[in-house]
Amino acid sequence: MDLSHVVQLVIQGILSGGVYGLIAVGLSLIFGVMGIINFAHGQMMVMGMYVSYWIFVLLGIDPYLSLAAVAAAIFVLGYFIQASVVNRILDYPEAMQVLPLVAVGLVLENTALLLWGPDHRSPQTALSLETTWIGPIMIDDSRLIAFALAILITVAIFVFLKKTDTGKRIRAASDNRMGALLVGINVNRINNAAFGLGAAATGAAGALLLPLMPVSPNMGHDFTLTAFIVVILGGMGNLMGALVGGLILGVAESTSTLFLPATLKQVVSFSILIVIMLFRPQGLFGGKK
Amino acid sequence: MGKKKIKDKRLDRRTFLKVTGAAGVGVAASTFGVPLLLRAAPEPIRIGSVQPATGPLAVIGVGQRRGNQLAVDYINANGGIKSMGGAKLELLLGDSESKPEVGRSEADRLIREGAVVMTGPFQSGVALAISTLCEQRQVPFVMDVAALDKITAKGHKYTFRVFITVTGLLNGAVKYLKMVTETKKAMPKRAVVTNTADAFGKGMSGGFIKFLKKSGLPIEIVDRVQYPLGIHDLSAEVSRIKAAKPDILFPVSRPGDGIILTRELYKQRVELMGIYGPGSPGWYEPDVIKDLGKLIYYVMINVPWINPNSKVYQQANAAFLKAYKKYLDTNSAYAYTGVLVIADALERAGSTDPDKIVAALKKTHFANHPVVGGPVVFDEKGDNTGALTALIQVQPDPDLLKRVKIVAPKQFAQSDEIVFPAPQLWKR
Repeated sequence: MDLSHVVQLVIQGILSGGVYGLIAVGLSLIFGVMGIINFAHGQMMVMGMYVSYWIFVLLGIDPYLSLAAVAAAIFVLGYFIQASVVNRILDYPEAMQVLPLVAVGLVLENTALLLWGPDHRSPQTALSLETTWIGPIMIDDSRLIAFALAILITVAIFVFLKKTDTGKRIRAASDNRMGALLVGINVNRINNAAFGLGAAATGAAGALLLPLMPVSPNMGHDFTLTAFIVVILGGMGNLMGALVGGLILGVAESTSTLFLPATLKQVVSFSILIVIMLFRPQGLFGGKK
Repeated sequence: MGKKKIKDKRLDRRTFLKVTGAAGVGVAASTFGVPLLLRAAPEPIRIGSVQPATGPLAVIGVGQRRGNQLAVDYINANGGIKSMGGAKLELLLGDSESKPEVGRSEADRLIREGAVVMTGPFQSGVALAISTLCEQRQVPFVMDVAALDKITAKGHKYTFRVFITVTGLLNGAVKYLKMVTETKKAMPKRAVVTNTADAFGKGMSGGFIKFLKKSGLPIEIVDRVQYPLGIHDLSAEVSRIKAAKPDILFPVSRPGDGIILTRELYKQRVELMGIYGPGSPGWYEPDVIKDLGKLIYYVMINVPWINPNSKVYQQANAAFLKAYKKYLDTNSAYAYTGVLVIADALERAGSTDPDKIVAALKKTHFANHPVVGGPVVFDEKGDNTGALTALIQVQPDPDLLKRVKIVAPKQFAQSDEIVFPAPQLWKR
């Protein structure tokens, strides 16, 4: 086994992990505030990819430049889903909260099928083939940019929640819904904003992934599951935990190909999930129970 | 999805009354001695088509149906089955939903509704089920697409196959590889096989490895990289391919992974003499050609293919394009061929009696079809001895749709030149 091959895999794992982290941050935020698991998360990411694809194909604007617009579009989608569906089911038993969101996921997936058809689409963007070489080690530029932006967005969300008034309201609503209501916070609106923000993060992740992989309507489930594992790994509701969880999962999946057939990649991620559930159910960094 | 053209032909009350009424008038007319010319036109001959029109293979299934229907329309427009008084063909539609058990019950329904010959069904699993059913019901079954060898290995009397077998496909893959390496005097030594870990991917690549070993070519398979169907990222897999230092790559892919694989090979600068697909999709679809641009050039794939030089193809393609705004691809072209072969047998049988149709099918010698291969002639098992694969190579051409070129066999070739070894991906 040659050392540069190992280094290569670790780097690729870290870079992919950053994007996993960003997808999971959205899921973690939504869970942290509402205590709801967004089973339509992957499909929202795919919507982000398609919006970004559309902007690229119709207007010729590179996915990195349209990032803010894509995030805004998916924010609106998330806000709408929260206002129309999720706010109504917040007090339901957990098992009953799952189904409406799975349904939302199916609606999104089939909307994509209707609008863009079943084909795999992968337009070649300006940077999608660019690479940087350090000796024998290749660094994929679009992966590196995706990683850097993912970290940046996560930090920005973190600062937003800590420093701004709206961020503080979101945290208050997350901490104690009744208390927040009593001090005059419009909790429903705050929930809408929080869901929208979580959705925007995953939508942005989608845009960052567009140069890296072909988009097709049915790829959402895989990413919902990945985000799920990452969130459990880092601790439900813990944003920095989600980011670190993403990095760990990325590296584990990537380096597993050294020892295992690639068909067992998913076995690696789910084994991690089982181990964490058994020995540290609150996640590596703790979180909401 | 062309719903106006293709309707589900379940017998409803109105059609029943119309048909029986017409038949009644016909019977009355003939018994009461009305002149021959006034009698009802001959009863249409019903062909049952079971295709995966919904489910994961819907895109292909709908294309297959259209191929079948287009051939039926063609025969009818040219006077129907002349030996049977110009009887028209009628296509009864069944949907396997991509599942064998549904395929069987749909076939059963179509036979009950009067299908005298069956065609379809794209998936080998469905073909096995329908083949057994047709043997019981004594209805000839002419498969347009289905490749598994064992469908025809059971000795069923009523089953015929226009498509190539898996063995035929793999023989083609090795034969063309030999031809390319010998004529270009460039022999790769180390090879990596990649495949999706579904039934098709495993079976096809496993078979190819066996056939390659038997062939005596001095190519060593140094690694086999399998990955799950629907993968989104192949960077780790390509690092592993790179570490194996192959000269050539034999990918068995599914739509979607060809794009990721090629781009990742480019980014990681994996040095290869070329990419040679033993037979799988993911490399020749118009979207893939468009998205990959220069990177897809010089990829070679062994595959059952259309014969764009034939008049039949040109005519059928024009009709297909007009009706459905899509090009007639290999699968649809085989579906088209299936119905033409059935019509040819009916013409010679002059009857819808199953044994007469089978006798006619056994004597089939049908050359006027739109796919690469010799005349359709069935051997004792019912397999088409004329079925051939083509070797296609993607070559530079300003017109996107003309980039996929047949390079072998010679008599079908659209380009005399085969490029091998190919320039490295990043030097184009």
